[in-house]
Amino acid sequence: MPVWLREHSWRQSLTAVYLSLPLRGARATAANIFCSEQYLKVSIPPFLFEAVLYAPIDDTNSTAKIGNGNIFFTLYKKEPAIWDSLTLANADKEKLQHLRENAILEVQEKAKEETKAKKITKQENKKYALEATMKLEEAERKRIEDLKEKERQKVTKELELWKNQQKDGDKYKSIQAKEELHQEKEPLKERKNEKLNKTRIPNEGSSKTRLKSTRGCGGSCSIFSQDLKEEQLPAPRAAATIKVNFTPRVFPTALRESRVAEEEEWLHKQAEARRIINSDLSELEDLKEEEKNPDWLKDKGNKMFAMGDYLGAVNAYNLAVRLNNKLPLLYLNRAACHLKLRNLHKAIEDSSKALELLTPPVPDNENARVKAHVRRGTAFCQLELYTEGLQDYEAALKIDPKNKIIEKDAEKIRQLIQGTMQSS
Amino acid sequence: MSAVLGLERPQVVSHVQQALSYTVFDCKWVPRSARLMCLGSAARGTGIIQLYELHGARLEVLREIEKPKPIKCGTFGATSLQQRYLATGDFDGNLNIWNLEAPEIPVYSVKGHKEIINSIDGVGGLGIGEGAPEIVTGSRDGTVKVWDPRQKDTPVANMEPVQGESKRDCWTVAFGNAYNQEERVVCAGYDNGDIKLFDLKTMSLRWETNIKNGVCSVEFDRKDINMNKLVATSLEGKFHVFDMRTQHQTKGFASVSEKAQKSTIWQVRHLPQNRDIFMTSGGSGSLHLWKYEYPAQRSKKDSEGSEMGVAGSLSLLQNVTLSTQPISSLDWSPDKKGLCVCGAFDQTVRVLIVTKLNKI
Repeated sequence: MPVWLREHSWRQSLTAVYLSLPLRGARATAANIFCSEQYLKVSIPPFLFEAVLYAPIDDTNSTAKIGNGNIFFTLYKKEPAIWDSLTLANADKEKLQHLRENAILEVQEKAKEETKAKKITKQENKKYALEATMKLEEAERKRIEDLKEKERQKVTKELELWKNQQKDGDKYKSIQAKEELHQEKEPLKERKNEKLNKTRIPNEGSSKTRLKSTRGCGGSCSIFSQDLKEEQLPAPRAAATIKVNFTPRVFPTALRESRVAEEEEWLHKQAEARRIINSDLSELEDLKEEEKNPDWLKDKGNKMFAMGDYLGAVNAYNLAVRLNNKLPLLYLNRAACHLKLRNLHKAIEDSSKALELLTPPVPDNENARVKAHVRRGTAFCQLELYTEGLQDYEAALKIDPKNKIIEKDAEKIRQLIQGTMQSS
Repeated sequence: MSAVLGLERPQVVSHVQQALSYTVFDCKWVPRSARLMCLGSAARGTGIIQLYELHGARLEVLREIEKPKPIKCGTFGATSLQQRYLATGDFDGNLNIWNLEAPEIPVYSVKGHKEIINSIDGVGGLGIGEGAPEIVTGSRDGTVKVWDPRQKDTPVANMEPVQGESKRDCWTVAFGNAYNQEERVVCAGYDNGDIKLFDLKTMSLRWETNIKNGVCSVEFDRKDINMNKLVATSLEGKFHVFDMRTQHQTKGFASVSEKAQKSTIWQVRHLPQNRDIFMTSGGSGSLHLWKYEYPAQRSKKDSEGSEMGVAGSLSLLQNVTLSTQPISSLDWSPDKKGLCVCGAFDQTVRVLIVTKLNKI
């Protein structure tokens, strides 16, 4: 049950009513006051004060001042008149209820309208602000454009001026040159010598005099100056060629830093694919990664050969051949090992295989072919098949005629053959 | 475009734009005039040379010449000021020198290369420098050849790959160091990132390096002085500036490099009136104007006591985007400071004015 506040005091003038409501200790805010045209309510739980006013008031302009433990209302009357009392006397319950409801509705309506109005003003303000900034920016842009335009015009004028100067300069110089021509036609030879002397002094001075005499001249003058010029210019250079080496690049496209990573990956994949051509998967599982690479194995074999471990080298080469039987160098090196091990037949076989793989015979594999022939030749000779050996040596000589060692050895074999032929 | 308050920096102002009906590969100013040449390839597969004159705010066509093969590059560098013959390289490997007054028959013609001539440069003409006028061409067949217009059919120098070596495309060539009658160098850039410096006096390779990206354009800051700086631009938006005054035996020349943009830098051109300012043009249709500042000491001694160069620093003066397509060619006017022409693959040639260069 609310506690009714009844100790209010009021006084009035023709246009306004002044109502003072003590609060009895409660704190009031604007939210506790509910006011419409004819109804006033202050509700601060548990306190309650309500009044159905005698006549309608202008609630938008009326004020309520909260402070000092009471609320002081200043209510402006709609119609200036003197009220008999603050509230309507004969208010029965239903009427009161009705009035209350109306009041609430009225206030709600008013609130709605107010928010609408606020929205509209806000939008308008925004629009205005936007337009104002746009104008400012427009002005700024225009200023810059104008400055640029001015510059452009200034430069255009300068250009035109310069162009005209050029034309005048040309005309002037052609007139001058014509005058000179008239003068020149007599002491022709002297002038020529003079000019020659002048132009012998190196530097811009000479080029200017050259220019002056040739600018704007007609045909007759040009031959004269042409001769002069040709006398001054050095002869064409002696033709020569410079050989150039390029930084190696596999791809025909241009080099781009951003593509380098992709390209490296591609090349790596290609190398991987080349590594294992013939492979027996079951045996290879035991091998280490490096040992599956024929190139690595070849290197290993070479090292072992250099140290004298010929059997080990042969093993390495064997494994390499199993992995990739198309590399001629493997057979070539294995032949060398066999020679050292005196497995002459095997040496011959391997050199032959190497030679087979080294077709077509091109300058690039000359070295390899020479070696193959020499090794086979040596093997033949050690088997005392001197004629075959000589054939190989001569083939080697054919590829590399400048090799003295091969020549000497071939001579020796020839001698041997002749010796045996003589003795038999 | 960068909006600059106070406009203290040089501005790149577009003066004239001209739409063309062919693809323009090269554009050059005709020396001592307000005329310019555009070289390119028409859609029907023929070569076009157009001569324009600048009249106020527009370009007027003075002459249009059609040739059987598309033309890739051209230069006025090796002719005299009076003759002003244009040397061109075309898609078929032919080097021709034309007299523009009588363009039906070339003054000099040779089938110099087996494949397209990518780049051409001339030295010794226009009253600049001394020595014989020469033209150098670089081609996709991997060779760089130097020609003297007085000698028919054979080049006076030929830089070709060693027998059996696979060739790389030569994308750009430039002359330099032509400060007296004997000295000359040719710098060539290749698609595998190689830059090679050939000395024509000793007919040998003087220096080489690899900048890890295909080299699109090389230029010395001046052709006719003791070589001072070399700018090399490449793919991937990078360019390098080499200080060419001090060569170290192993380290070569000192350099500073800059990554300007994500796209290829097609061209670099130094301002003829100030050799420390240059413009680079990019594949994104932009132009960047740079200034090089020298270091306090241009050379210093290394640990063994031999001289090595010190590279300076670069600052970007201005940057502007003109087109959506690459700007493939650029040329400063030798007569008017700040006037330049650029041709782009959107079939437009633009005349630009760069202002406030006097204040740099």
